[in-house]
Amino acid sequence: MSDLVVLALKLLFLALLWLFVLFVGNVIRTDMFGRKLATNEVGELQPVAELRKQKKPRGRAAKSLPNQLRVSKGKQEGLTLPLGDGIKIGRAADCQLVLDDDYVSTRHAQIVRTDDGYMVEDLGSTNGTYVNNERVTSATPFTTADTLRIGRTLMVVES
Amino acid sequence: MGEVVVFRKRRGVELVMLILAMGLGVGAFVLTNLNLYEALPDRWWWGVGAYVAIGLAAHLVIRWRTPYADPLLFPLVYLLNGLGLAMIYRLDQASSPVMHSAELQLTWTAIAVAVFVLVLVLLRDHAVLQRFPYLTFLAGMIVLLMPLLPVIGFENHGARIWIKIGPYSFQPAELAKIVLTVAFASYLVEKKDVLALAGARFAGIDLPRARDLGPIIIMWLTSLAVLIYQKDLGTSLLFFGLFVMMLYVATERPSWPILGTLLFGIGAFLGWRFYGHVQTRVNAWLDPFSDWDQNYQIIQGQFGMAWGGLFGTGWGLGRPNLTPLAKNDFIAAALGEEIGVAGLMAIIVLYGVIAMRGLRAALTARDPFSKLLAAGLSFVFALQVLAIIGGVTRLLPLTGLTTPFVSQGGSSLVANYAMMALLIVVTHRVRMPQAQTNEPLQSLAHDTTQVIAVPSRPDAAATDPRTALTPSQSPSSADEPTQAVPVGADPSGTGDELTQALPTGSPDAEPTQAIPSGTAQTWNPDDTNPQGRLP
Repeated sequence: MSDLVVLALKLLFLALLWLFVLFVGNVIRTDMFGRKLATNEVGELQPVAELRKQKKPRGRAAKSLPNQLRVSKGKQEGLTLPLGDGIKIGRAADCQLVLDDDYVSTRHAQIVRTDDGYMVEDLGSTNGTYVNNERVTSATPFTTADTLRIGRTLMVVES
Repeated sequence: MGEVVVFRKRRGVELVMLILAMGLGVGAFVLTNLNLYEALPDRWWWGVGAYVAIGLAAHLVIRWRTPYADPLLFPLVYLLNGLGLAMIYRLDQASSPVMHSAELQLTWTAIAVAVFVLVLVLLRDHAVLQRFPYLTFLAGMIVLLMPLLPVIGFENHGARIWIKIGPYSFQPAELAKIVLTVAFASYLVEKKDVLALAGARFAGIDLPRARDLGPIIIMWLTSLAVLIYQKDLGTSLLFFGLFVMMLYVATERPSWPILGTLLFGIGAFLGWRFYGHVQTRVNAWLDPFSDWDQNYQIIQGQFGMAWGGLFGTGWGLGRPNLTPLAKNDFIAAALGEEIGVAGLMAIIVLYGVIAMRGLRAALTARDPFSKLLAAGLSFVFALQVLAIIGGVTRLLPLTGLTTPFVSQGGSSLVANYAMMALLIVVTHRVRMPQAQTNEPLQSLAHDTTQVIAVPSRPDAAATDPRTALTPSQSPSSADEPTQAVPVGADPSGTGDELTQALPTGSPDAEPTQAIPSGTAQTWNPDDTNPQGRLP
């Protein structure tokens, strides 16, 4: 190859290497701030697989099932969250609903979807989980008529 | 209602960056062949295909297991790996007969990426690593000091940082780096509050308390032992620097790095004063041309980089093979010769970005363990790059560390890929959107002690002097001298115990409620039941 071609290729390689560095800078720039969302939208950002499962129709009864959890009293009053196939409630980061409440255990309770609607289960919490002021000892149905209390937070389910 | 910041997954960006990175790696290989032979070698697609396939496979696993991972880490690492492979291939061509160490290195890349994938698949959450700080520390120390063992440890090129089992040699410091970072992170999560306590004040800085100096002294002695017996300044600097930096991150006290720098300065001075090999290294750093034979390697590296100049000689057109160990320690000099300062600077920027993305994850992380782990891993990575490239370019005394992802060597490649996998898991957990619904919990200092009187008999509660402990008196229940939210009779018989801060109430009892003194009213769980159920 002629010297000119060799020189051109050498400079081309370095230019591309630095172009890559510029691309890296651009990725860092666009990654800087993420997206800001109101807290009640966060629930919609579940992994795609879970969303798909959620959309799957499960017969007429399942379709009309009320599936929004709303905090009706407590520090986070007004917060709503889709229940989907079920959520875990507690203070740990892996819970879908993280309650800011001093009387909530790390993994406090979970709401699971069954064929008969949503059920509440206590996960061995310190202060207990209450549906209509009855302490939950086994899986308890949770319908629109019920009020769920965890620590100092009240929650209802609605469609 | 608060707002949360949600990071995008950006896996598509990662794929694009990975393809560009692989293009540059393959480009370096193609240019080497064009410049040397004006043709590609037979079966060139094998190597190129393997490199591309390994990269894409790793990308798919990242997509599957850690979809929220940082989009830059893997492409950057894989570009460095590709440039390293191309340079090792190029150096193979310079020896006669032609060597095949690039193929071996490609095999090691496959193994290292397999380890990377294994970590991603097995380690769902890095929090499990926090469990055994002392055992992890012990394991890390044993691994670090392993080269000093009589049978398996051996000395190579003046530094005893190798172990040899059968035909396989291995630098345990590469593994110890990860293990000790995990150990320090989990230890400091527990102890940071104690270590942050101020002791005597001297020259405007709060020194730590004398009784808290134990851990830093242990690390200092270990790093001195590494310096003296393993004869390796780089490893010694790496571990002591890592520990001191993590202490600083955990406690936010500048006295720790100041103390650490002083201690390291003393240790390095003593090492230089009393040990010949340290003197040799320092002499090669400050005045290499005084002893041509002894400092041959460093002098050749300097000549190579000088010949390369700003834009380098071009792939395959320099003579980097004249430097001893050009594939290992001096691969930075070989790259500096063939792609010039412009190329070497780009490589250093890539290293810097890797460290920066790790530190960014540390800043984003909410829990202290993730913070410390990400900060520690990125710092030790950056420090290693500084020590070796600084050594090659004579910014620092030369050390026997490897250039991560670039230089030849299986153990280094495997360990560094495992480290990157750990960092990627951390970034994935950190960037994952969580239903974080409110500000972080307030410090407990603002809350009153959560003590609740649990009377066993309702009538006893009225006369129980302990009720004075309950600060809040609801106006509506002023005639009730008991606590604001009493707990019903406790069938377990422990009702007289005051020590139970948050007792588990009996199933039919009112739930335990501690009322902070600030809220001087009964909290009613339900509007229809305003008084609760008083006993």
